[in-house]
Amino acid sequence: MSDRNLASDPIDKAYAEAEAVLGDEAARAARRARILGAVASEAPAPLPRPIRRSPSFGRGGWLVAASVAGVGLLLSLQLGQEFKVRPEARPGKSAPPAARPSAMPSTPQVTTAPPPAAVAPARPAPPTRPAAAQAPGKPADVAPPAPPPVVASAPRSDAGDAPFVEGVIAAPPARARESAAPAIVQRRVVPEASAGRDEKTTRASLPDPAARLRQAAAAGRLAEMTALLSSGAPVDGADDEGETALMKTVQANHPAAAALLRRHGASLDRENRAGRSARDMASSVGDADLNRALGLAPGS
Amino acid sequence: MEPDDADLLSAHAAGDPHAFARLYDRYDRACFRYVRRLLGAAHADAAEDLHQETWIAVARNAAGFDPAKASFAAWLFTVARHKTFDHFRRQKVAVLTGTQDDAAMMVSDPGQTPLEQVQSRELAENIVAAVEALPLEQRGAFVMFVEGGLSLEEIAEATGVAVETAKSRLRYACAKLRTVLAGERSAHV
Repeated sequence: MSDRNLASDPIDKAYAEAEAVLGDEAARAARRARILGAVASEAPAPLPRPIRRSPSFGRGGWLVAASVAGVGLLLSLQLGQEFKVRPEARPGKSAPPAARPSAMPSTPQVTTAPPPAAVAPARPAPPTRPAAAQAPGKPADVAPPAPPPVVASAPRSDAGDAPFVEGVIAAPPARARESAAPAIVQRRVVPEASAGRDEKTTRASLPDPAARLRQAAAAGRLAEMTALLSSGAPVDGADDEGETALMKTVQANHPAAAALLRRHGASLDRENRAGRSARDMASSVGDADLNRALGLAPGS
Repeated sequence: MEPDDADLLSAHAAGDPHAFARLYDRYDRACFRYVRRLLGAAHADAAEDLHQETWIAVARNAAGFDPAKASFAAWLFTVARHKTFDHFRRQKVAVLTGTQDDAAMMVSDPGQTPLEQVQSRELAENIVAAVEALPLEQRGAFVMFVEGGLSLEEIAEATGVAVETAKSRLRYACAKLRTVLAGERSAHV
């Protein structure tokens, strides 16, 4: 007996028609809602893109942040060390470098780092050196040294002798340096090329998971709902009208979504501002599948 | 162009929230009826649970499905069959699967019965009852073939037997059902 012979057997057709006659579409729909809901709650669905962690907050992001912080700190210390040299060039200041460490009391590298001369070769030579050394016969206050071009973008402290910080990091005044450092690091974590995109992503995903859950529930987007619930979105978070995700999904008649929310503990009896609960709404909808999904019908 | 079963399963494994529903809609009737008919009337109450367990198992193991080894339908029915037989084992139901059982069902072929359609619910119930009265493996092979559209090779793979064995089971099932339905037809004429 070949496949073709078997396929042409009228018994097949009779059986198929018999099953169709006996078929219970309502039960099938309920079964579908239940199974797809169960699968959706278990599916290994990856988190939707909008709620993907920003690099600033992910585990890897913190590693990057720590690395940037370390590099930034080292850089600032090195530059601070370099800055320590700069006061020597100030006109009218004749105190030797050894007399200046008090300007940076919290940076131990000031005393242990190599002398400023070791740092200077990495950058263009300052146009001026200590006035006394270059023009001994000229008064220092007559020919003040031009500011070094490489640090021109960095704001100079009001204190005058606060260290410069070179590069992208804008150094706050010396007195605020310690407290402001973490904020600087966070801004530096995101590469400039992708910063705009990540900020948009963050704005779209972080503000209100409950609102996103309600939106997904109203549209019956099971995977997104699952991801949001898994990430801690409040299942009964209500909007301004007092409506929860379960109410939204009941109104939109999405049995599978309703089943998913119920499995996560969504309340049937919480009322909106109009005093109506999801149970009331389901009663109004009057859909058997929905009622089964909500556990409001026999056999559910 | 409609994606094939393997594509949908891959999409589900990759997180597509709609792929699994589409796949489910293709096979849910066949799968449920297969489970239901294997269970028979005595265990009909377990059909819903076993059907659900089958699909959840499929969803969980979607990433492990290899379309090079078997069709999705064959895999699905294999899972459903295992779930059903596990149920029988839990219920301590003796499952007759021997060749003697198959041979006992061998009847003469009365020729093609001109069943054009099922005319009444009573007849439909009798047909289904006749299917449920078949030996378990014949019943399973028959439902897989008719409902699931599986080929003999796929039935053989799903049930772990040779193609010839699957073919014999199907032949016996059809022969027995023709006999029963010939009698039904006489009774309804």
